[in-house]
Amino acid sequence: MARKHPVFSYENCVSCGICAQACPVSCLAMTNIRKQGKYKKPCPEMAEDTCIGCSICAKECPMDVITMVEDAVS
Amino acid sequence: MKSCLGKVLRVDLTTGEIRTEQIPESVYEAVLSGKGLGAWYLYQNMPAGADPLGPDNILGFVSGALTGTGAFFTGRWTVVCKSPLTGGWGDANCGGVFAPAIKQCGYDAIFFTGISDHPVYLWCDNTTAELRDASAYWGLDATEAEEQLCRDTRRKKKPCVASIGQAGENLSLISGICNEGGRIAARSGVGAVMGSKRLKAVVLAGTKPMPCADREQVVALSKKLGTKLNKMSLPSGMGGMLGFGGTMLGKMPSMPLDGSLTAYLFKEWGTPSNTPMAITSGDGPIMNWAGGPKDVPGAVRAYNPEKINRIEFQKYHCYSCPMGCGGRLDIKDIAYKGFPETHKPEYETLQAFGPLCKNNDLESVFFINELLNRAGMDSISAGNTVAWAIECYEAGILTKEQTDGLELSWGNAPAIIALIERMISREGIGDILADGVKRAAAHFGGTERAMQIGGQEPGMHDSRNDPQLAVHFVAEPAPGKHTIGMGLQYGAMSLCDICSWAPPAKVHSKAEDLIPNDILAWIAKANACYSMLVDGAGGCYYAEMMGVHMWRLVDYLNAAAGWDYDGDHYMQIGERIQTLRQLFNIKHGVAPKSFVLPDRMEGKPPLTNGPLKGVQLRNGEQVSLYWKTFGWDQETGIPTQESLNNLQIPKLLEVDAHGA
Repeated sequence: MARKHPVFSYENCVSCGICAQACPVSCLAMTNIRKQGKYKKPCPEMAEDTCIGCSICAKECPMDVITMVEDAVS
Repeated sequence: MKSCLGKVLRVDLTTGEIRTEQIPESVYEAVLSGKGLGAWYLYQNMPAGADPLGPDNILGFVSGALTGTGAFFTGRWTVVCKSPLTGGWGDANCGGVFAPAIKQCGYDAIFFTGISDHPVYLWCDNTTAELRDASAYWGLDATEAEEQLCRDTRRKKKPCVASIGQAGENLSLISGICNEGGRIAARSGVGAVMGSKRLKAVVLAGTKPMPCADREQVVALSKKLGTKLNKMSLPSGMGGMLGFGGTMLGKMPSMPLDGSLTAYLFKEWGTPSNTPMAITSGDGPIMNWAGGPKDVPGAVRAYNPEKINRIEFQKYHCYSCPMGCGGRLDIKDIAYKGFPETHKPEYETLQAFGPLCKNNDLESVFFINELLNRAGMDSISAGNTVAWAIECYEAGILTKEQTDGLELSWGNAPAIIALIERMISREGIGDILADGVKRAAAHFGGTERAMQIGGQEPGMHDSRNDPQLAVHFVAEPAPGKHTIGMGLQYGAMSLCDICSWAPPAKVHSKAEDLIPNDILAWIAKANACYSMLVDGAGGCYYAEMMGVHMWRLVDYLNAAAGWDYDGDHYMQIGERIQTLRQLFNIKHGVAPKSFVLPDRMEGKPPLTNGPLKGVQLRNGEQVSLYWKTFGWDQETGIPTQESLNNLQIPKLLEVDAHGA
């Protein structure tokens, strides 16, 4: 079965950091600074290539910002 | 309680023994977690008369009952101990990421007793809890220690670190405990307690799930709140109007406010939004609490928060916060060199080292902020102490020889910085000032100029502007704290909508509050009980200030815990927590009546300019009425047996933690 990784829909992200703290391997970090209006909000990104595809981040996100998609097969 | 784990970790630093203790369900039912669990645990387990810097003191790191459930604004962790500043109950509260990290290790709290014979840190993950040698980290500032410990100990999960800096190591009685590069649990001298135990840091790397009874319902509440906050935005460039807004606030009667105003202001500027308003409204103390707005010309412009936003390169959010009142500032190009960035200074720091010291040099406050955050020193206590030193120097009580040659005149920013550096390293006069203003005045004189209550310096909100705040400054078991309740805050909370006995906020003349009255006493009680409830939940006071209709704490608690209680039941939990903290002081020989406002903070003599001109308080009488609302003795502040029975406290104190 193909492994999955998170993709983010940043529009609804409120920068709460729940996903990054929940990640058991800390592959997510709130280091993606995105502009929403005039605010520079820190959003999650894959800061380290250690994702195990566990989906915990997607389950924990209260804003449904994270979707797990299958890794592309090369 | 289905949102808590029912377990705490107890670490004896003298023997090295580490054990898990089970907490009975009845404790959570009675006091939740957070400050409530901490108050119960310390009352039960610390012998009366324990030396605050000795082995019998217990230092606790406690998460909140809602932390990790998906509830927003619940990432606050609380440090509890016996305070070396006051000799009584001590607590401090902090955001960042440490609160969930405690629970992810499988515990609601970690309690330390004893004293290690060498520097150590606690390492804890899903399966291991062990003390490790910290000699290599002793002497580092808190930010350096956090970075190095993260790097050196990381396996998969990036650890969360709470650490002391040099101030805590040097047993400064105004030191705190830091995480996230300078977020600090600052008050009560908790850093000195950690330093006395030779505990440099707590390093947590657990990945366990955090429980919740009805996660779907909790998330539904969060999504509604998050969606609303995400859309909030003020038009640009309004910071210049805040000073005028403060002037109007100072002239207007007290009135109910829309709690969403808090969210708009704090999302735009964070707590620095308050500085210009505080200067002009009378909320912010000026020149060591002896001045008015006319004494600090240019301060409103100097502390316009738009200037701070200009160098903010990103917002900073604590764990589970959708608002983000914090920010990271680029300070590479300021006049004071040494640090590339700093957390956005809080209002308390800006006021304490700005108008309180008659200092209009905003850049110096950025630098001071980073100095204090790294050293782990409380900016409220340090600011009050420095302002006292300046006033004493100007009055000839402190000589230039005693200040090590520093020209401690009002607004001399380089001298203020030099003094703080001496306080951090305990050099020269800094050795005395590092223990706060009460001890400094006892050493040098100028006691009547020392603003402290029971040994702790007050927060940057003027008691003369807010008689309710004056009550909390002295009636709080941890005196001098500004976070328990304020008139403006009460007007925005709508507590009467969840609590049958909380008076509704009404339009009324501020002069009415200067005469002791029962309504103000009940409002102060409602504020105190709700604040304790928020602390038990691990909640944020800025969410509290948005009001009960926006941040729905009761609904969150019912959903997360699997309960179905009403607001009155939860307010009684808050009352129980407050009563336990009061009992702690009585057990340890600290008489509630011994906490009094300095004359100056009561308007004796009154100020001669500004919105507080001529204001005088009768705070002792108002405190007595406040105690009466709790059913405590009106003369002594000691809880009566009847009041304890009403709260089922005797039964609560029959149970104890037991080893697993």
